[in-house]
Amino acid sequence: MKKRNLQKLAALGVLLVVFLNIPLILIFSEPVSVMGIPLFYFAIFTIWLLAIIVSYTILKNKHG
Amino acid sequence: MGSWSVLIVLLCYLALLFALAFWAERNTANRWIKNPYVYALSLAVYCSAWTYYGSIGVAANSGIDFLTIYLGPVIALPLWMFIMTRIIKIAKNNKIASIADFVSLRYGNDRQLGALITIICIFGIVPYISLQLKAVSETFQLLSGSTQTAENIFLDTTFYISLLLAVFIAFFGTLATDASRSRRGLITTVAFESVIKLVFFLVIGSYVCFALFDGPSDIYNKAALLEGFDTLVTFNGLEHGISWFYMIMLSFLAIFLLPRQFHVAVVENEDPKYIKKAIWFFSLYLLLFNIFVFYIAFAGKLSLGTGVNQDYYSLLLPLAEGNTGLALMVFIGGFSAVISMVVVSTLALSTMVSNNLLIPYGLLDQLFQTNPETNTRYIRNVRRVSIFVLVVTAYLFYYYFSSQLSLFSLGLIAFVIIAQLAPSFFLGLFWNRGTATASKIGMIAGFAVVVFTLILPRTTLGLGSNTDFITEGYFGIAALKPFGLFGMDMLSVEAHALFWSLLVNLSLYCLFSLLIVANYRERNFGELFVHVNSVIGNDEQGYVWRGEAYVEDVKKVLNRFLGNQKTEKEFHQFYKRNGIDPNNQKADARLINFSEKLLTGTLGSVSARMLIGNVAKEHPISLQEVLNILEDTKATRASNKILTQKSKELTQLAGQLQSANDELVHQDRLKDEFLDTVAHELKTPITSIKAAAEVLVDDEGDMPSEYKENFLKNIQEDADRLQTLIGNILDLEKLSNGRQELQLEHRSVRETIQKAVRGVHQLAEKKGIQIITAEISDAMAYYDEDRVGQVLTNLLSNALKFTEAEKGKVKLKAKSESQQVKVIVEDNGQGIAEEDFQYIFEKFYQSKYQNTRKPQGSGFGLAICKKIIESHKGNIWADPDFSGGARFVFTLPIHSN
Repeated sequence: MKKRNLQKLAALGVLLVVFLNIPLILIFSEPVSVMGIPLFYFAIFTIWLLAIIVSYTILKNKHG
Repeated sequence: MGSWSVLIVLLCYLALLFALAFWAERNTANRWIKNPYVYALSLAVYCSAWTYYGSIGVAANSGIDFLTIYLGPVIALPLWMFIMTRIIKIAKNNKIASIADFVSLRYGNDRQLGALITIICIFGIVPYISLQLKAVSETFQLLSGSTQTAENIFLDTTFYISLLLAVFIAFFGTLATDASRSRRGLITTVAFESVIKLVFFLVIGSYVCFALFDGPSDIYNKAALLEGFDTLVTFNGLEHGISWFYMIMLSFLAIFLLPRQFHVAVVENEDPKYIKKAIWFFSLYLLLFNIFVFYIAFAGKLSLGTGVNQDYYSLLLPLAEGNTGLALMVFIGGFSAVISMVVVSTLALSTMVSNNLLIPYGLLDQLFQTNPETNTRYIRNVRRVSIFVLVVTAYLFYYYFSSQLSLFSLGLIAFVIIAQLAPSFFLGLFWNRGTATASKIGMIAGFAVVVFTLILPRTTLGLGSNTDFITEGYFGIAALKPFGLFGMDMLSVEAHALFWSLLVNLSLYCLFSLLIVANYRERNFGELFVHVNSVIGNDEQGYVWRGEAYVEDVKKVLNRFLGNQKTEKEFHQFYKRNGIDPNNQKADARLINFSEKLLTGTLGSVSARMLIGNVAKEHPISLQEVLNILEDTKATRASNKILTQKSKELTQLAGQLQSANDELVHQDRLKDEFLDTVAHELKTPITSIKAAAEVLVDDEGDMPSEYKENFLKNIQEDADRLQTLIGNILDLEKLSNGRQELQLEHRSVRETIQKAVRGVHQLAEKKGIQIITAEISDAMAYYDEDRVGQVLTNLLSNALKFTEAEKGKVKLKAKSESQQVKVIVEDNGQGIAEEDFQYIFEKFYQSKYQNTRKPQGSGFGLAICKKIIESHKGNIWADPDFSGGARFVFTLPIHSN
């Protein structure tokens, strides 16, 4: 695996720690809903899904 | 639904799993079994009944906290590419079979450390397994509608289900004595169950959302009116946020350290590349598992209220609607979650118990039989007994204690206990100075903190005995309150316990690692683990050992466990790989290390080392020496690499020289042939001149004058031929050596061609051959007119020569392309034979099909043409695609450069 892609994955891990914890996550700590999904769950699931997409994009390359 | 029918469904499902495992063991190379998705799905053993049922209870009861259990892995997964690949590499290098093996190997194969880790894991995992059994039992009761608890163990169906599971594990988990070998059958069932539990969970989620309610918004709008709803979908203050952080950290550690996770991710890993798929796939799996939790929880709350066990809303909701089929499906899904967790956990624990506890502490002496079959049978039985003991203990724990504890809290206690391995595990991977003593002190102290801040107060609360110490603090000291040490009571109970235990554990580990210098063996493995990606971590060279041992003795030990045949095979490969003379009597460090590894899978690293140690007299080495040796190894490897590089370069150079030499020899031969042919060609006219001259000299005046004239004509013709021949030879030589200076000028190609045509016009007319020059464009090119004229004359006279008289047609064409002018000379003569194309431009080449009188030409014509055109930086060739005659094409540059 290329060093650069390894570092992308590491950066993703660090970003996830920041985005899934206080104080950032407190922004979404409101009792409202987005299309029937509580805002807090919505935020967590969105970040989660983004993490999956980003790691998939980094890893899909066979030689990367 | 009657309990018998539920039981029959259950047994059918178990039978299906047995069949699947059996089939998978038989078809290990099948692409349905051997692929990265099976690996990724087997990781989902992480989602136990705790996920399947427990999350819903938490979401309904206390809110968002269940998410932390999955967010830790989500954060950890991208980092797997660093950490997990490294762990797998070490584990495969050393035939690691469990996390206890892994950590104890890192700290110099420490026997006590392996045992300590095993004990900690038993404390954490056995209650966790019993929690799963509890889920089976409770859901079984809900579904079958029986409310009374069994009067004794033997009337309890859960007991028999547990035993069946134990049989399953004992059978498929111990097929090979080498515990580091993968168990395809078991893993395939785990992956299958992962699919089942997720699909069934998604089905019940959709059912609740869309069949029982009018979509997610409906549930949300109705739930929002419930009392206390706001606190269940948001953070309750900053303290909650801090606990949230620690809980994520806890699950982050768990995904690496839980024995079952280590087992599926590392021990059962077949190809490190699978990790790439697992990283995103497993994350996606966890996401799907969490989407409906909120809705099932609040649908349950809205429909059934809080008077029932909220963990089982997913089962109770379809039951309340009378939908038994769906309820049964949910039950099977939950059962799948339980089985996979129980199977893998028990398997991992039993390996640890046998390899790190029972065999190195006592059973090793039993294994000194000489018969390998007896030994393997013995080891296998030890594992099987461990499996049964573990399952039965878990069952008993469930039967007597777990009725008081909820799914969620027991699961978290297990996580906090296992987290005590973290400092030794993670720092051991990246820091070479950690020592076994420090690791043991840290773990024991950390575990003690967990006992006092979590296990003791939780169980006393659950059992309802004297709980004064919880409110007053231990010994009545307020600073020692179990849930708020030193007044720190803002964290949740588990976060608090994790914080203090890890703080103590980590500090002591670092402190003692720095205070006590590692012994040489610890440091040796420290270097091997930390530098696994460089030279010393990668092969048998990195192991430092000095002492005396005889190969025969070592082999004898191996024979006892692997059998004669396998030992010889492994040794053969080892000798071959390392280039060691098989007749060597004395064992070296590599051989010792290799033999230890061979035994590690079967007996655990600690026992393997003890066994080999019995026959090898090891001389103690100082730490400094170990470091020096490792440094030397590194240096030798580096210089070896350079040497290999150099020798490769030399081989390449020799190859080049060889081919240059071949070329020279070839040229030399050509020269000889050339001289031969020239001599021959010169000899023919000279002989005929000489003969004619002799006739004339011998003439005494009686020869008729027309005869005389004829002879003189012959002499003249032959002299002409000689002259042409010699002229050609000189030309060719001049052109070959580049001595010929070309008079390059811009000229009209049409004019040059016409000039050449004029030169052969008479000859053509005589033979009755038509020369067509209609398709000549008015192109200019840069060339020496005389020389190109020579080429044209040559081609034309060839064309005239090989076409039939009266019928022949010779066509000349010229057209300009981007950088060059293309001139074509074609005829409708006999054409060029296929095998001649390659050679016609060579000196003296004359086709063997040229069956007419031999000297049709000197054999130089085309060779000279080629030289001339090439000296103009053009090309000349015969067109192989042209049919019905011969077509020669040459190009001339338009511009001077």
